[in-house]
Amino acid sequence: MGLIGPNGAGKTTLLKAVLGLTDCQGSLSVLGLDPFRQRKELMQNICFIADVAVLPRWIKVSQLLDFLQSIHPRFSRERAEELLSQTKIRKTAKVRELSKGMVTQLHLSIITAIDAKLLVLDEPTLGLDIIFRKDFYANLLNDYFDEERTIIITTHQVEEIENLLTDVMFINDGRVVLDAQMDELSSQFVELMTTSENAAQAQQFNPIYEKDVFGKKVLTFEGIDRDELAGLGELRTPNVADLFVAKVKGGVK
Amino acid sequence: MIEDQIALIKRELWEHRSLYLTPAVIALLLSLGTVTGQATFSAFGHVVDLAMLGGAHLGDNERAAAITALMSIVSVFFVIGMWFLTIFYALDALYTERKDRSILFWRSIPCTDFETVLSKILTALFVVPLITFGFVIVTHLAVLSISSIWISFQGADAGHMIWSVAPLLDNWLATLAFLIAVPLWSAPFIGWFLFISAFAKRGPFMMAVLPLLILPMLEKILIGSTIVAEAFYIRAWQMPLFKGIDPTEFFDQDTQSIPEAISLIDMMDLSGFLTSGSLWAGIIVCALFTTAAIYVRRYRDDS
Repeated sequence: MGLIGPNGAGKTTLLKAVLGLTDCQGSLSVLGLDPFRQRKELMQNICFIADVAVLPRWIKVSQLLDFLQSIHPRFSRERAEELLSQTKIRKTAKVRELSKGMVTQLHLSIITAIDAKLLVLDEPTLGLDIIFRKDFYANLLNDYFDEERTIIITTHQVEEIENLLTDVMFINDGRVVLDAQMDELSSQFVELMTTSENAAQAQQFNPIYEKDVFGKKVLTFEGIDRDELAGLGELRTPNVADLFVAKVKGGVK
Repeated sequence: MIEDQIALIKRELWEHRSLYLTPAVIALLLSLGTVTGQATFSAFGHVVDLAMLGGAHLGDNERAAAITALMSIVSVFFVIGMWFLTIFYALDALYTERKDRSILFWRSIPCTDFETVLSKILTALFVVPLITFGFVIVTHLAVLSISSIWISFQGADAGHMIWSVAPLLDNWLATLAFLIAVPLWSAPFIGWFLFISAFAKRGPFMMAVLPLLILPMLEKILIGSTIVAEAFYIRAWQMPLFKGIDPTEFFDQDTQSIPEAISLIDMMDLSGFLTSGSLWAGIIVCALFTTAAIYVRRYRDDS
């Protein structure tokens, strides 16, 4: 699931509450557990990468594996070693000697070796170059993902994860703006690209957002029958990034 | 639980290599110092000999006392080193992980804040003294061996002069008791430093030390009493481990007139120490600060 929101929308706060790092009002249940009060049990079934900088810089790769092996009941050392052998990361290296991309690779490898039901990624690829980012998501899908596991991910690079998502949630100002499955989007939303003259006519259908692109009008509609707009211009399903802008900016209007 | 604690304490030793490097450096310096000192003596071999140092005329008890004094001086260096080491370790233990944001990784692992902080206070109170103890034994053996070589060069029998009378076991037991007693007696301060380590946004050293200096002064100025200052003084200098004997005074006596074999263990009042109300009051204060550190780590969110 992609959790998408502008800066300050409350994404990280939400994830922290889910991870039991902060308390919250109301009730919250993750895998049937209260995250803040049953954090130890929860952490056996959850993994998270908060952002690239959090692995301690002084630790050696081999020490990290030793430590997890003795402390984490669901950590498989064999699996971690197998994944690491596919990278350039030496087991004798310290985290501080690795490049930013390699630290992320290392973190993803150890997390993939943990048999957890839920993986939470908060801006996991921040500050990485495009090649590492592509590899990261490829590895995530190939090595980690299966039908039993859930991944919650936040990122600003929406385009890169759009094709991986099954569910998407937008939040803004601490409120859920959209909560949908990806394959529902095409039936719920439509984007019309048209001329200014036709736009006036289209506006009676209450677009949630409109913008100008190269002298043309682009209007986004929610919950409308596509047939009603037929003939007014070019219709398509908005991509997640455009839809996000439409929902967040349109909501402000 | 116990396996987790062992893993967590190992982790502390990986992160804080000073926990064993500091006593290792002290051991090396003392051993080198012994070699240098005795080499210097040897250079003046024609004027300084065993007879001049008094060694040739001493009886068994006197030699045992002299060796005990030598071993105790060695131990004192380690105790001083351990004191500083423990303070800096406690100040660092919960501060660095926040500064480098690795706390987010440590909190992603199935360990409670209680377990993590517990491993740190256990390290400060017990692991550091035990590591130090290991290096004290090695250094004692090194210093005595180096001295044996020197004595042999002077033409005396080191086996007789040193090893037949050296009260090794007594000295080591006493050293172990002392090394463990010091942090326990200083526990309220260690707890305080650990709490500040969890609490301080920046500059934990000043934040921990300044109140300890200012509080007695404020009390004196505002109330005119010196209760805090006296409590600190007792904590620093009057550990109730010795039976009213000041060991420095003891060794200042004329070593020629020792009537019977001395035992450091006999000078200690272990049961008196362990049943002392001040000791346990201090441990309770330490437990309170440690609990506060656990709560700060758990509830404060400044990442």
